[in-house]
Amino acid sequence: MSFRRKLLLVFSVSVALSVAAVAWLVQEVTRKAFEETENQRTSQLVGQFQREFNRQGEEVTRRVENIAASETVNRMGAALNGTSADSAEYFDLARSLAESHQLDFLELLDSRGMIVSSAQWAAKFGYPEPAFQILSPSAQQPAFLKLEQLQDSTALGLFTVRTSAGREHPVYVVGGRRLDKTFLSTLNVAPEMRVLLYQNRGETFSADLLVNASASSRDARAAEKLAPLVDAVRRSNQEMSTPVRWSSDRADEEIFHAIPLRGLGENRPLLGILLIGQSRRNYVQLSRRIKDAALLAGAGGIVLALFLSGWAAARVTRPIEELAGAAQSVAAGSWDTRVQVNGHDEVSQLANSFNQMTTELLAQKERLVQAERVAAWRELARRLAHELKNPLFPLQLTVENLIRARTQSPEQFEEVFRESSQTLLSELANLKGIIGRFSEFSKMPQPQLQRVNVNQVLRGVVQLFQAQLNVPGKPAIECRSETDESLGTIAADPELLHRAISNLVLNAMDAMPQGGKLTLLSRREPQKVVIEVADTGTGLTPEECARIFTPYYTNKQHGSGLGLAIVQSVVSDHGGTITVRSQPGKGTAFVIELPERPELLAEIAESRAQHAGEPVRN
Amino acid sequence: MKRTGLQWLAISVLLISALSANADTRPQYGGTLHITTSMSTSSLDPAEMPDSVGARNLVALIFDTLVIVDATGRPQSALAESWQSVAGDRGVEFHLRRNVKFHDGNPLTTEIVVSSLRKANPAWNVTAGGDVVSIESAGAIPELLQELSLSRNAIAKRDATGNPSGTGPFHIVDWQPGKRLVAAANEDYWNGRPFVDEIDIDMGRTFRDQMNALESGRADLAEVAPEQMHRAVSQRYELLRSSPIELIALKFAKEAASAQEKASRDALRLSIERQSMHNVLLQGAGQPSASLLPTWMSGYGFVFSTEPDRLRAQQLRDQIPGVPSFTLGYDNNDPLARLLAERVALNAKETGLSVQLNASATELRLVRIPLASCDPWSSLLVLNNQLGLPPIEAKAHSLDQLFASEQSMLASGRIIPLFHLPLAYAAGTNLRDWTVMPGGKLNVTGAWLKSSQP
Amino acid sequence: MRQPIYNSGIPGILKSVNLACRPARVRRVARFGVHCLIVLLCTFASASDWSSSEKQLAQKIAAVTGPGAAALTIQNRSSLGKRDTEIVQNGMESALQEVGVRLVNNEQAATSIAVSLSENQTAYVWIAEVRQGTADSAVVMVSVPRTAATTRLPDSMPMTLVKTLLWSGNKPILDVAILEGDASPTRIAVLSPEDLSLYRMQAGKWQAEQKLSINHLKPWPLDLHGRLIPTRDHALDLYLPGVFCQTASAATLNCRESDDPWPLGIISTPSAGSSTAPLLAGFFTPRRNFFTGVIAPAIGKFSAAPKFYSAAFLPRDKYVLWLFAATDGKLHILDGIRDQISLTDFGSDIATVRTNCGAGWQVLATNADDQSGDSVRAYELPDRDPIAVSAPINLPGKISGLWTQANGDNAIAVAKNPETGSYEAYRLTVACN
Repeated sequence: MSFRRKLLLVFSVSVALSVAAVAWLVQEVTRKAFEETENQRTSQLVGQFQREFNRQGEEVTRRVENIAASETVNRMGAALNGTSADSAEYFDLARSLAESHQLDFLELLDSRGMIVSSAQWAAKFGYPEPAFQILSPSAQQPAFLKLEQLQDSTALGLFTVRTSAGREHPVYVVGGRRLDKTFLSTLNVAPEMRVLLYQNRGETFSADLLVNASASSRDARAAEKLAPLVDAVRRSNQEMSTPVRWSSDRADEEIFHAIPLRGLGENRPLLGILLIGQSRRNYVQLSRRIKDAALLAGAGGIVLALFLSGWAAARVTRPIEELAGAAQSVAAGSWDTRVQVNGHDEVSQLANSFNQMTTELLAQKERLVQAERVAAWRELARRLAHELKNPLFPLQLTVENLIRARTQSPEQFEEVFRESSQTLLSELANLKGIIGRFSEFSKMPQPQLQRVNVNQVLRGVVQLFQAQLNVPGKPAIECRSETDESLGTIAADPELLHRAISNLVLNAMDAMPQGGKLTLLSRREPQKVVIEVADTGTGLTPEECARIFTPYYTNKQHGSGLGLAIVQSVVSDHGGTITVRSQPGKGTAFVIELPERPELLAEIAESRAQHAGEPVRN
Repeated sequence: MKRTGLQWLAISVLLISALSANADTRPQYGGTLHITTSMSTSSLDPAEMPDSVGARNLVALIFDTLVIVDATGRPQSALAESWQSVAGDRGVEFHLRRNVKFHDGNPLTTEIVVSSLRKANPAWNVTAGGDVVSIESAGAIPELLQELSLSRNAIAKRDATGNPSGTGPFHIVDWQPGKRLVAAANEDYWNGRPFVDEIDIDMGRTFRDQMNALESGRADLAEVAPEQMHRAVSQRYELLRSSPIELIALKFAKEAASAQEKASRDALRLSIERQSMHNVLLQGAGQPSASLLPTWMSGYGFVFSTEPDRLRAQQLRDQIPGVPSFTLGYDNNDPLARLLAERVALNAKETGLSVQLNASATELRLVRIPLASCDPWSSLLVLNNQLGLPPIEAKAHSLDQLFASEQSMLASGRIIPLFHLPLAYAAGTNLRDWTVMPGGKLNVTGAWLKSSQP
Repeated sequence: MRQPIYNSGIPGILKSVNLACRPARVRRVARFGVHCLIVLLCTFASASDWSSSEKQLAQKIAAVTGPGAAALTIQNRSSLGKRDTEIVQNGMESALQEVGVRLVNNEQAATSIAVSLSENQTAYVWIAEVRQGTADSAVVMVSVPRTAATTRLPDSMPMTLVKTLLWSGNKPILDVAILEGDASPTRIAVLSPEDLSLYRMQAGKWQAEQKLSINHLKPWPLDLHGRLIPTRDHALDLYLPGVFCQTASAATLNCRESDDPWPLGIISTPSAGSSTAPLLAGFFTPRRNFFTGVIAPAIGKFSAAPKFYSAAFLPRDKYVLWLFAATDGKLHILDGIRDQISLTDFGSDIATVRTNCGAGWQVLATNADDQSGDSVRAYELPDRDPIAVSAPINLPGKISGLWTQANGDNAIAVAKNPETGSYEAYRLTVACN
């Protein structure tokens, strides 16, 4: 992992942790604040609802009082006057009065509590009102709750009872509004609130008894979830609150405040339960928004932090990377590599020092090259002197022998001359050969690259030397070729490559005068092709191994010391490397690694296409 | 001096009164009589129309019967000028009135009469011979003349497409089935051309709509719900009503399947308190009744007690395991029916019976049954058929037999009579000389409109 | 077919005529006497009819109870009067005892018999509910045919306008002409839609003398009116819508389709006895109930009047004032020069009578009375507006015809009595105060 990445990672983690911590902190603080607000709001809303409920009761009372004071009712009271006079003509009166005063329930009772007219159950005339005994028509009596029996059901209503004025036998006016959907929907409650009414009938909870102003099919199905709260209130007969979650979604949670509604009478029976639900959806949604905002801010922060830390890391690491790159360049041989120095910080000082170091290294290299060039020239001169000295000495002896023969034995001069002339020619030829080899080494051509199958080259070399490996009278050399047929082609000069491998094979054959085994091997490694030429000859010492590629170095009696140098030169010109591993007495193996260089193959193919028909090489 | 002053005062009063009024007494011709009715029918063929008083009224405008029944229940001649019994009361020969024409101009013939009567009464043996139409039957035809006065026996001449043509006082001008009938006066009506030129009948209207139409002047004559009669009178409309001719009853679709069910029905019958319903819901209109025929028709209706017997009902109810329950149906468009059904349910509840109301219930329904005619036998026989009870085997149509037959029908437990209600009509002050027969039939043939000009 | 019910005596005639001329006290006594006589007659007649029904019901009761003690209660639910109820109760008690049922008090009886006197449309229905012990009651009943309708005394208002019942019957009456006997008619002609009948008073009852059918091809209008006018030669002219008939001989009536104008004003000349001379004739619409307005001769410059139902006249010194009850509901008064319209409460029928009272000529006019039928009142026209000169006299029902009699001294009013269903013809005379 690069330094920049490490730095970036550290920065990112730090920023993410910081943002998460802040989001959690904000959420917790928000939740607590909401819970407190929610409790206060629930109390306010419940209070508001109770005021609204009372207001409705007062409205019912006002309407009933208006009816009781109306001329129609007083005329009726006067007509009946406590007698069982024909009340038939008033049979329909309650309905019309209820309609005109917008009441759901209205009964007109005579002084004995018998129903004269009933708006809610018209057929009930003449029957006694069951609750007559507990009805109190005093002016102070507020609205009360009463279960009203209807034709085919029972309804809960908010009632008031008043009497017609100034009569010994008054008419009782019992009017009310039904606590139903319509009633609940007229209650002025906060938007996030809703009011449900449970009519307390029967022993067990029944969803059918739940009146919901905004009922939907889903509510009807889920109404059973209110059963525990309803049952608890039925048992305790006290107000209580509980949250109810309608679905797995937290936003579907409501906090229900249950208020028991009691009727008149000694035991004040529980007639119904008002369920004031306050949705937590707003809170949950706000909480979600905060969380989303926190997440968004965190993500943005992280991205920004990444960007900034990347920028910062880049600022910090760029000189270091430049230094590292420069160091690598230096290591690769670019001794003149320089880095840009900006500022005066530690990294700048380091860069400055690097530049000084490379400057110094370059100078030292120049000096070393010059020294090596001098040493090479000396070695060349020495070798040249050595090579030339050897033929010169016989030449000198031969010439001196001629002179002596001419002088000492002219008769033998002719013979001596003939023999000396041959010797002179032979040595001169030797000299010429020595000079030719030097000349050839100096004239090593640049490789002409083309697509080359390495295995083919190997097989060509083996075929070339096949006859020499098994010369009769000489110890046989076993040649084994292990080629990797999966090798593809590489960009190389086949003639130079053939020459290089041939040199290695010649070396191997020279190293096995007593016979042995010659192995030519090819294999593929990532992005390169490996050629190995191994023998089971005398082997080399480590010192020999170190100097073996030096030109004119040879451990052979008649070697020029240029063979392996040429091999190295060819390999180097192909961008490859050559190494040697050897143990004395066990043999030597030369390993050539040549890069595949596909880009060059593409160029060759392109060039071929352009010069179709032309020979790749001139 | 004093006397002279009084005389002048009297003369002045008379003069003022003379100048302030305008009262014709002789019928005036002309005008369109607008009538509203709750009745609605899709056919004007008397043989196909469902029996109701409204249908009878409609038929009487377009068609004539051989005989009619007057206000006292006696048959009078109509298309048949005279008649005589033949074959020992097994048939009657009718002599047709001459020079009577159908609305399409064709004369009234015995063949048409025979065809018309056969269509309405496939079981009758009706034959024509010369100017005489004979009606015979295998058995005695009970109250044949009464039967012939029923609207279904009105004489109709049907054309190739089956459209009926009548001889009645009005001929059809515009017929919108179930909605409206406009009929014009038959100039050549054998019994005198009606005074009004046209009758426009608006059908299928509720009582409330009808009163609104009357108040707004869109109708000259409207039906009035019996319980609303006093209001119509207070609004100064001229109100005429029939004798109590419409039976309101609880009708069971089937016979009781078991003794327990029979006991339940009896308990229900005995729990019903009719008097308060009559006083309050019906506002005193009609009569509480536990009999099928009203007393004015039979003379003995009061024998069937209308008083509840809760003790007996409770005893019957106690014999039945569980809570006997009924589902009572009623006409949802009839506000009175709903109230009566509610009260019946309330009465039943007191006895420990459960009566649920469901307008569409068919097993037990609160029904209005218009009695077929003013003749007790005819009405009872038709009612017997309507209830699907076994035919009444009466050797002689005596009062005792009538009583026994009615008793038998009531004992079947298929019907619990509640009330007999009159049919009432109200008319604006411009409509004169209209009458209502005891059977509820409206007679507007002799009616005339005050404001119209001849 | 049911026959007309002839008047059994004419108490109304006696009453109207006599009471009009006697002091009030005498009239009250006379009225009481007549009432008693009628009640007694009715009682006598009814009692004999009911005894068989009483016996029949008693036998049916006895068949249920058998001989023994029983308590009897009788309740009247019918239109029978109290007196009749008492008679029936007595009769029932006797009849029951005759069949062996001994009547005792409620406390002593194990059997109770509750008899209800009810009725239906056609008959009385007497029902006995017999309860023995705790058993369900048995019901027996008899049907009792109604007796002939009790003659009801017409109300009279004997002030200046006096009505006298001439005739009543079940068939519609168009007009009645007094042929003989002026103050006390002894022979009358009654015009009905289908026939002309002549009656003669014999032994206090009208006896049919002759009935002549009226032949007509076209149907009569619904509101049919007709005029019956005696002629000099003791013949009768019959004016009906589109038809004119004349008695040719004692036994025949010749009818023909005709649109001849009907005589409107008739003044009998004393010299000619009952002979008549029409002042004016008007054309009657053959299919309706009114005159077309075309008159002959012309009234001054008016050769036509508005369509009218009836007409009356009042002779003046130099002209005759004609009154037309027009179909537009107004009274048109034509003097030959002007057509004056008077808004009156006149009905559709008016007629002129000549009297010795007031101006000598009065107009009788109907007046609608929705409650109890129509009334007729006498008017004079001292100027151009009618002034009532008599109290209205009520008729039992709607007046369908008001015609001046041939002698001009009185008028005939025809009305249908809604209670009895009979058609009644009255002679209206004006008595001076």
